[in-house]
Amino acid sequence: MILLKDVTKVYQTKTIETTALNNISLEVPTGEFLSIMGPSGCGKSTLLNIMGMIDEPTSGQVAIQGQAVSDYHTKAVARFRNEKLGFIFQSFHLINELPVIDNVELPLIYRRISGKKRREMAQTALEQVGLKNRMKHFPGQLSGGQKQRVAIARAIVGQPNIILADEPTGNLDSVMGNEIMEILLNLNKELGTTIVMVTHDETMARKTHRLVRLFDGSQVL
Amino acid sequence: MFSNYLKLAIKVLGRRTFFTVISLFGISFTLMILILLSAYMDAELGSHQPLSQKDDMIFLNRLMMTNEVIDTSYQIDTVMLDGVEVYDSTEVLDKNRNSVSISSLGYYFCDNYLRDVAGADIYSFYSPGFSYDIFVNGKKLSFDVVYSDADFWNIYDYQFSSGRPYRQQEVDNQSQVVVLTEKAAQDYFGGMDAAMGEFIEIDGKQFEVIGLVKRPSNSKGFLSGQAFMPLTTLKPVYLDDDENFQGPFEAVFLAGSSTGMKDIEQSILQKSKQIALPDPENYNNLYLITSDFFGRYANSIFPNSDNDPEKSKRTFILIGGGLLLLFILLPTLNLINLNVSRIMERSAEIGVRKAFGAHSGSILTQLLFENIVLTFLGGAIGFVLALIVLHLVNDSNILGDTILRVNYRVFGYSLLICLAFGIISGLLPAYRMSKIHIANAIKQTNV
Repeated sequence: MILLKDVTKVYQTKTIETTALNNISLEVPTGEFLSIMGPSGCGKSTLLNIMGMIDEPTSGQVAIQGQAVSDYHTKAVARFRNEKLGFIFQSFHLINELPVIDNVELPLIYRRISGKKRREMAQTALEQVGLKNRMKHFPGQLSGGQKQRVAIARAIVGQPNIILADEPTGNLDSVMGNEIMEILLNLNKELGTTIVMVTHDETMARKTHRLVRLFDGSQVL
Repeated sequence: MFSNYLKLAIKVLGRRTFFTVISLFGISFTLMILILLSAYMDAELGSHQPLSQKDDMIFLNRLMMTNEVIDTSYQIDTVMLDGVEVYDSTEVLDKNRNSVSISSLGYYFCDNYLRDVAGADIYSFYSPGFSYDIFVNGKKLSFDVVYSDADFWNIYDYQFSSGRPYRQQEVDNQSQVVVLTEKAAQDYFGGMDAAMGEFIEIDGKQFEVIGLVKRPSNSKGFLSGQAFMPLTTLKPVYLDDDENFQGPFEAVFLAGSSTGMKDIEQSILQKSKQIALPDPENYNNLYLITSDFFGRYANSIFPNSDNDPEKSKRTFILIGGGLLLLFILLPTLNLINLNVSRIMERSAEIGVRKAFGAHSGSILTQLLFENIVLTFLGGAIGFVLALIVLHLVNDSNILGDTILRVNYRVFGYSLLICLAFGIISGLLPAYRMSKIHIANAIKQTNV
C-alpha cells in the first residue's frame, strides 16, 4: 500500500516559488491499478516521483508498505526501489548501447545476482511481454511499442510489488498503446502488482480501477 | 556487474567517436611521455648494472678544507638604568670562513685515511675525470678513461661480454691493460671480436685489451667512461704527491647492510675530525662529503654551493616533482573537462540506473571503471608509442650511454600511472554524476 498524507512539493528558485503539489492525501491499496490524470504541469509526474522515492516532498508524509519513506537512509532507499518498485517512462529510457536482454537485466545487476540467474530472469520477463525473440536486438532496431515492452520487462524483471508508469502509452499510437495497456492490466490481474499510471488518455485511464485527477497541484477528484 | 560495465564502457566509447579520439590522443600522448620518463628515471636511478648494489653504496667524492676563525664584534644599544638612558655593548662571536677549498680526493689521502672505514665490506678508489683524444685511421675519437683499483669491478658490476677485469696484481704491477666498452672497441677496432688481445694507444702508451663490457643502462656522469685502466698507470704526479689531500680521485664504499651504511658515514665523519691537515695555517677544518647513490646523483645534476647532497636531493625532488605535477595536471584538467561533457550526456541513463536501485557508490564505481578502461586503452596506445620512441632514442644515442628499457618495473609504473590517471581524471565527473538528482536526470531524453 502507498500512503500519502498532506504531501506538498514546492520548487524554489532565487526568484520564483512554484507549488507543484498542494496538500495531497492519497491511499493506493495493494493490488490497485490507479491512474492519475490532469493537464500538463499539474504535478502528475511529481506525484509519481514522490511515490517512487525519486523525489522528496517539501512537507507531508509518504509511507510505502507501512514504512515511512523518511525512515530510510540513502542506500536503503536505493535497495527498496530496486526490490519493490518498477518504473516505466514515457520515452522508454532504454540504454541504446546495450542489447535488449542487458537492458532488462539492469535492475538485477544491483542485486548481485549471478549472471546466469540474471539471464534466466530477464528471458522470463521478455517472454511475458512477448519479446523473447528480440533479446539480442538493440533498442534502435525496435519499434516504439517494442521498446516500451522492453521497458515493461525491465520494470517487472525484479518482481516488484509496485509499478509506477509515467505516460507509458504517451509516445505510442493507439494500437501499440492498447497492447501496452493490456500487458499492464494482465500484470495487475495475474500477479496482483500495484500499478500507478500517469496518463493523458481518458480511454486508458477508464480501464484502471480508479482515476485521480489533479489540477494545479491539487487533487480535484 | 563489471562485465556489464566493461561492455557498456566499450559501447560508450564508440558513441561519440570525436570525443573518444580526442580523449585517447590526450591520454596516450601524456602516458607515452610519462612511460618514457619512468623508463628514464628507472635507467638512471634503478638498480641496474653497473649499479646493482647502489643501495649499499656510500660515495665520498668531495672534500672541503676551510679556514674558520672567530670574529668578535660589538653590538651597541641603549638601555634604561634607574631612569637614565645608558649605552650597553654586547660581544658577538661569529664563526667565519675566510678561505674554502673544495676538490675531489688525492690518492695519498685515499691510501692513508680511507682504507679502514668501519662498516665497509669493500671499497674502491677510482678517478673518472680523464679524457683523451685518440686518432684512428685519421678519425678523432674522444675517450673518457676511468682509472681504478681492482675492487672497482667488485663494486660496480659491469657486464663483461668477453674477457675479464684487471686483477689487483695487475694494478700493483702497473700492467698496461685496458677494459673497453663494446662501443669503444667497435669505434677503435671496427669490431668487438677484433679488439680482444689487441693494443690501443692512450696518452702515448700502449694498452692491451683484456676485456669488453656491455654498454651500461645508465649514464651516470661520475661513472661514464669508454676505457678502464689500473689506477697505477696514471701519471706519477697523481699518485706520488706526498700529503696531497686533493686530487682526481673519489671513493666508494660497499656496506654489508643498511646499518653498515650508517657506520660508514659515521666513521668518515669521525675521521674528518681526527685527520691532521697538512697546512693548518691556511686550513684548520676538514669536511668529507658523503652521500648515498641518490644524493650523489642529485648532486651531479643540482650541485649547490654548500656541496650538500641532502640539499641536492631536496632540489631534485622539488623541481622534478613540480615539473611532473605540472605535466600531469594540465592533461588531467583537460581530461576532466572532456569527461564532464561526456558523462553529462548520460545523465538520463544514470537517472534510470538510480531509479532501478543503483546507489551513488555503484554509479561512482561504474563511471570510474569506464574511465579507467578508457585510460588503459590510451595507456596501451601510449605504451606502444613509448616503445617506438624508446627504440628511436636508444638508436640515436641522444641520451648518451643511457639505454631506456621497458622492464617489468617500468611496466608496473606504467600500469600505476594509467590507474592513477584514470582515477584522478574520472573522480570529479563521476562523483558529480553519482550525486545527480534522479527526477531531474530522467527528464533528459537521451539515454
